Amino acid sequence: MPSRRRTLLKVIILGDSGVGKTSLMNQYVNKKFSNQYKATIGADFLTKEVQFEDRLFTLQIWDTAGQERFQSLGVAFYRGADCCVLVYDVNSMKSFENLNNWREEFLIQASPSDPENFPFVVLGNKVDVDGGNSRVVSEKKARAWCASKGNIPYFETSAKEGTNVEEAFQCIAKNALKSGEEEEIYLPDTIDVAASSQQRTGGCEC
Amino acid sequence: MHEFDLHDLSDDADYADSMQQGSASMTRSGNSNRNSSSEQVGAEIVYLKDNVAIHPTQHAWERIRGRLKLIKQGGSLLMTWIPYEGQSSSARLSEKDKSLYTIRAVPFSDIRSIRRHTPTLGWQYAIVVLSSGLAFPPLYFYNGGLKEFLATIKQHVFLVRSAEDANIFLVNDLQDPLQRTLSSLELPRAISVANSPTSSIAPSESSFSWTDGETVDKNSAFIQQNGRQRQKHNDPRHLSIQVLEKFSLVTRFARETKSQFLREAHGDGFISNAMRKHDKKPNNSFVVESNDVHKPLEDVHVPADSSEESSCEKHSKNEEAAMRDENLEYDYDKLSLVWGKPRQPPLGSKEWSTFLDSEGKVKDSQALRKRIFYGGVEKGLRKEVWRFLLGYHSYDSTYAEREYLASIRKSEYETIKNQWKSITKEQAKRFTKFRERKALIEKDVVRTDRSIPFYDGDDNSNVKCLRDILLTYSFYNFDLGYCQGMSDLLSPILYVMEDESQSFWCFVALMERLGPNFNRDQNGVHSQLFALSKLVELLDNPLHNYFQQKDCLNYFFCFRWVLIQFKREFDFEKTMRLWEVLWTHYLSEHLHLYVCVAILRRHRSKIIGEEMDFDTLLKFINELSGHINLDATLRDAEALCICAGENGEACIPPGTPPSLPFEITSMYNQQDDDDIL
Repeated sequence: MPSRRRTLLKVIILGDSGVGKTSLMNQYVNKKFSNQYKATIGADFLTKEVQFEDRLFTLQIWDTAGQERFQSLGVAFYRGADCCVLVYDVNSMKSFENLNNWREEFLIQASPSDPENFPFVVLGNKVDVDGGNSRVVSEKKARAWCASKGNIPYFETSAKEGTNVEEAFQCIAKNALKSGEEEEIYLPDTIDVAASSQQRTGGCEC
Repeated sequence: MHEFDLHDLSDDADYADSMQQGSASMTRSGNSNRNSSSEQVGAEIVYLKDNVAIHPTQHAWERIRGRLKLIKQGGSLLMTWIPYEGQSSSARLSEKDKSLYTIRAVPFSDIRSIRRHTPTLGWQYAIVVLSSGLAFPPLYFYNGGLKEFLATIKQHVFLVRSAEDANIFLVNDLQDPLQRTLSSLELPRAISVANSPTSSIAPSESSFSWTDGETVDKNSAFIQQNGRQRQKHNDPRHLSIQVLEKFSLVTRFARETKSQFLREAHGDGFISNAMRKHDKKPNNSFVVESNDVHKPLEDVHVPADSSEESSCEKHSKNEEAAMRDENLEYDYDKLSLVWGKPRQPPLGSKEWSTFLDSEGKVKDSQALRKRIFYGGVEKGLRKEVWRFLLGYHSYDSTYAEREYLASIRKSEYETIKNQWKSITKEQAKRFTKFRERKALIEKDVVRTDRSIPFYDGDDNSNVKCLRDILLTYSFYNFDLGYCQGMSDLLSPILYVMEDESQSFWCFVALMERLGPNFNRDQNGVHSQLFALSKLVELLDNPLHNYFQQKDCLNYFFCFRWVLIQFKREFDFEKTMRLWEVLWTHYLSEHLHLYVCVAILRRHRSKIIGEEMDFDTLLKFINELSGHINLDATLRDAEALCICAGENGEACIPPGTPPSLPFEITSMYNQQDDDDIL
């Protein structure tokens, strides 16, 4: 159905408190880094126009609170997501170990139509810290986990220095788009039905 | 107390009932009691009650007693209340004054509702509200008979109890009474217009509110689309209902100023439409007889009960008697608050000292809280006053007691702090929960208010102090532990107190109220968001309908507002001002919810006009941060709170934060939450 193009792609960033979710989002959208971000309360999002194969999309990137105690809000914020970005801090083993929980929690709360193939992207952030000396999660270990979860694309980033951020989000956008298109294939031909069954909050299909 | 003490006893329900038996037989005795020129031939008196009084002021000697009658004439039921002539106790009132209050043959087709008041102590009284929005002063039934009054009316007129409030009886109401009651609270929109003539939303709001129905703007188009055309037509009258009802309740004040008010109102064109509106009788009147009453296209509203005497605060029963005598004064107070009182300068040291007696006790905590509610506290004085507001010091403590408490508390704090201070590295290795909690706190304190000089710079000792207090708190209240947002709440407290142990205990006191916000299941926030949705439904029905239509009734877009009491929405100084106002709990413990409604209402035309969906709304709300006018918002919130009255409080489930919980023991979820992920 090439005529049905999605113009809004919804991306959710999840991960432990303080791994750099807000920073990554701001680095990608505003090309800025600040040491003075406050802990995110509730949720917020930024949008960015992206071009992909001659088509323009609005990437809507959702930044959420990292403390798991706020997860009851997930239902409202996760629904209609096209891609989920899991972030951990390469200097914190706990934040890496929690990736699995974040992934499962997301699948439960967002309940995408095809959880097996829902696109995730994993980012190992803060690779700049202490010249990499304080790193406790190896790239190998991270990649192994990603492979075990259905070959999740993996990037090592530094939101502070902008390392790999653009590349990571290109991949995220691509996967979000692909997810949307695949979803459409499963849906019946009628546009109205498709639109309502997806229960998008922000999405629209023209 | 006063000359009518005896009548207080007669107000006992049983006594009143027994009296009713007697008077019932009397009332049907025909028209022999006719004593007013306004009564016409062929009328039948179906109810008569003596010693029904009006209290123009709180002074006992100015009460006017008279005779209340229901008269059936043709197909209509009429009500009259005629003051007694030559009554000694009202010597100070001129006959002219008395005639001002006289109710001459008002047909029930002109009556919108009757509000019944049956206080445990004191006289029963009723407020009769006309469909024009005007209300008569409360009629006090010194000899009982209120129940019978209503029963008699019911025999002749279609009378239903409001679904919203069992004490409101709607006359000739056929449509859903609940909706009627709710829609009666449309006034605050008009208020906010009046309040912000320069605001950018005013023009469209005003055309919306003031149109006579000919103009269709964007808003009204939306309303029509939802089949609620009547809203548009009635907006002007809501204002008149509310305002005039208040005026008439404060009869003395009304007598003196009503005409002036109306002149002024005409002057700015604000009320004039409203007044014209209820000159057009056909819109508001009913055909009285029987059940085939047909409703005019335009509906008629139950005037809000906002002006009742105890609607804004919960008064214990033994305060009610006292309240009764203060009714009118209180109403006077509220009257000028319809638009929200102008903010006052903050409380200063000199004035503060007048609130204290020689021992240092606060003489009148209510007066103090009221003062702070309207003006806040000067910077330098906060350290002292916040301790009271937060509940760390009790108002009736003396200087000496407070000093003693401070020293005790200091050592208590040190004891709790030592519990984690004494954890060795080796021990911490085997104490995951402690390490994680500490790490989480450390991550947050370094990103809490760092732009404030007090907290900026590397190795800032105040930041460390934040950490120590939060970590100590997580040991003091291990079940609740630490949750993001707590550092936001603590930061201004430490800034003000400049003392670790005092800050800790003030924070503890605050968390007694706000702790449930941070429960794992978030029930504290959810109950507040639920109450908020009910308040918006009550106070801004069109906005409520809009949110419903957009599937936004979870109000998650207000999550941040509620969780940390607008900390992120205002700058540091303004946040402190807002908090001290909220902490007075002067009009309501839940003023913050009215603040939410006030902000939403201010932007409602934009929200609806731009057809914001959940995402857009969340973004919009988040971006309001730093752009909210605190004083105007507080005035709006105050007005909304007063207008909502008891109905507003009824929207808020018991125990909703920041109300103190009933049982501290079951306050927090015991689940080992930090390990869930």
